Amino acid sequence: MTTFATPSSTTAPASTETSVAQTWGLVARFANPAELMHAAEAVRKSGYRYWDCHSPFPIHGIDHAMGISRTILPVVVFGAGAAGCTAGFLLQSFTNSFDFSIWALVWVTGYPFLISGKPLLSFPAFVPVMFELTILLSALTAAFGMLAFNQLPELYHPLLKHPGFGRATDDRFFISIEARDPQFLRSKTGEFLKSLGASSVEVVES
Amino acid sequence: MSHSHDHADLGPSNTRADAAIARIGGRLLPAAVVLLAAAAWLAWKGGNANQTAKLYLVSFTFILAISLGGLFFTMIQFLTRAGWSVAVRRPAEALASNLRWLWIPFMLPLLWLWWKGGQHHEPGTHALGLDVLWPWANLEHMQQHEPAEYENVLKKAGWLNPNFFVLRAAIYFAVWAVLATVFFKGSTAQDSAGGTATTERLQKLSGPSIILFGLTVTFAAFDWMMSLTPTWFSTMFGVYFFTVCCTAGFSAMALVTIRLQSLGALKGIVTREHLQDLGKYIFAFGIVFWAYIGFSQYMLIWYGNIPEETTWFMARQMGDWTVFSWLLIAGHFVVPFVFMISRWMKRWNVTLALSAAWMLFMSAVDLYWLIVPVIPAGLVDATTYAELAEKHKDAPVGFFTLATLCSIGGMLCLFAWRTARTLSRNHLVPVRDPRLGESIAFQNI
Repeated sequence: MTTFATPSSTTAPASTETSVAQTWGLVARFANPAELMHAAEAVRKSGYRYWDCHSPFPIHGIDHAMGISRTILPVVVFGAGAAGCTAGFLLQSFTNSFDFSIWALVWVTGYPFLISGKPLLSFPAFVPVMFELTILLSALTAAFGMLAFNQLPELYHPLLKHPGFGRATDDRFFISIEARDPQFLRSKTGEFLKSLGASSVEVVES
Repeated sequence: MSHSHDHADLGPSNTRADAAIARIGGRLLPAAVVLLAAAAWLAWKGGNANQTAKLYLVSFTFILAISLGGLFFTMIQFLTRAGWSVAVRRPAEALASNLRWLWIPFMLPLLWLWWKGGQHHEPGTHALGLDVLWPWANLEHMQQHEPAEYENVLKKAGWLNPNFFVLRAAIYFAVWAVLATVFFKGSTAQDSAGGTATTERLQKLSGPSIILFGLTVTFAAFDWMMSLTPTWFSTMFGVYFFTVCCTAGFSAMALVTIRLQSLGALKGIVTREHLQDLGKYIFAFGIVFWAYIGFSQYMLIWYGNIPEETTWFMARQMGDWTVFSWLLIAGHFVVPFVFMISRWMKRWNVTLALSAAWMLFMSAVDLYWLIVPVIPAGLVDATTYAELAEKHKDAPVGFFTLATLCSIGGMLCLFAWRTARTLSRNHLVPVRDPRLGESIAFQNI
């Protein structure tokens, strides 16, 4: 399924391949994080948009080298926390302090309940639940929001069937450029990656 | 993968600013003298010994809290073997090193009051003693004027008595002076000696040290602040004072660091990454942890609703003190929480300095709130809250009078002068700490 391009055949890769499989992109292998950083900067500067780096561990500054903008996740988490805090207050004040009815699929009526002579609307008593709901909604939003923004879980990815790619979880560093990138030309992109010091450039099919 | 540590200049032009700091220090000493003299004159004119003593206690605990915050920061870095913080550890050590002299402005007045109170005096006359602040120091007076409280306080006399009280204060200051000396001298000696032996020694010492720190801070808070209302007790109080130390200490650290950079030092050594982490410390300990502890203490007492516990909060919820308490919650928690929550506010030195200065001010306000309010003696016979509040309505409460501002400002100038003196004689960063390179290269992800 996958074509292995030897360095000399990069200029005309997989010309004899008769499979109907389409080219997903190119993957280039680098020996160490410094080379990867260097190459990532060059790929960003040449204007590619659909590409990624793959490393066994987080590399400081790689997001800057790749030109990745900051996530908006913190703003979303803040909104979720504020919503949790507000919901905690509304829930408790409605159920404990008032006796009007609201329609929430069925009619629900508040139940003013006097506890140890405290005022019906006792804010201090509500704070622990407001706090907990703030934490709960923030934490869930942070965890699931992170997954959603990363488009996870992704159960299949063309790169995963590429035999050499397993070493991205061990001791090799990769840059992949997707064929759907407007600038992608199999031969030109391959040569470009080669010029960045990649020890191999290979075609990945979808 | 930052390459900044390759270029960071560790030479004296970047790690020392002796002359510039000494110039600042030279201006601080006269300011301290003028402000403290003004405070003393205003207090003498006011003529209320109790108010004066309380004001002094607020001002003193303020600079004590800053020093203890610096000491805590230093110890926790060694305890966790932190790499990121080496570049900003020296300001914390310099703040903590003040603990070597802070016993003077506390122990001398204390010993004088202790000696005066112990003198024989004619029955019926009233001599100045420790009871100018701490009512338990004069049991006879309590017996006559507050018989109900007297019964309670008498049972605590084994702990709350003048001799043991003074001895304990001496022990706290001895522990703090030793800890500050060990960590400050150790770190500054490493500047010339280098090597990893000092780091390893301080790491070993940091565990036992932090236990001593926790105990002394807790009991000092019980002794000096909680026993102002000797019938009242809260097991949370020591932790609450610890949060004051964190607020004041970390805020002062951020301010010192930013000021040193504005003098042209620490370029490329202290980066935005460090500023952001200092901001996180202020945010986590000074804002969120403070509110968490403060509310935990409040809610248990509010829910239990037992008069001997609620009386302390009652004094802070009557008349103008209600407004003061709300402003404290808004100014120490709500507003700075929203202001500082974004990472950019912590990374930009202008907004961080603004936040730190504000939080430093708020920790003084917090101490004022802890120490000053009291239910006036003439009102304790009220039987309901409504009656008490009604009687208290017109009771005078001078918030942040000129004397308060002069006193707190003067002590802060005195403190800053001594800190500047320390910094003007040492490197501004532990230049030969084995983790300095790691610290300079540090990045938040």
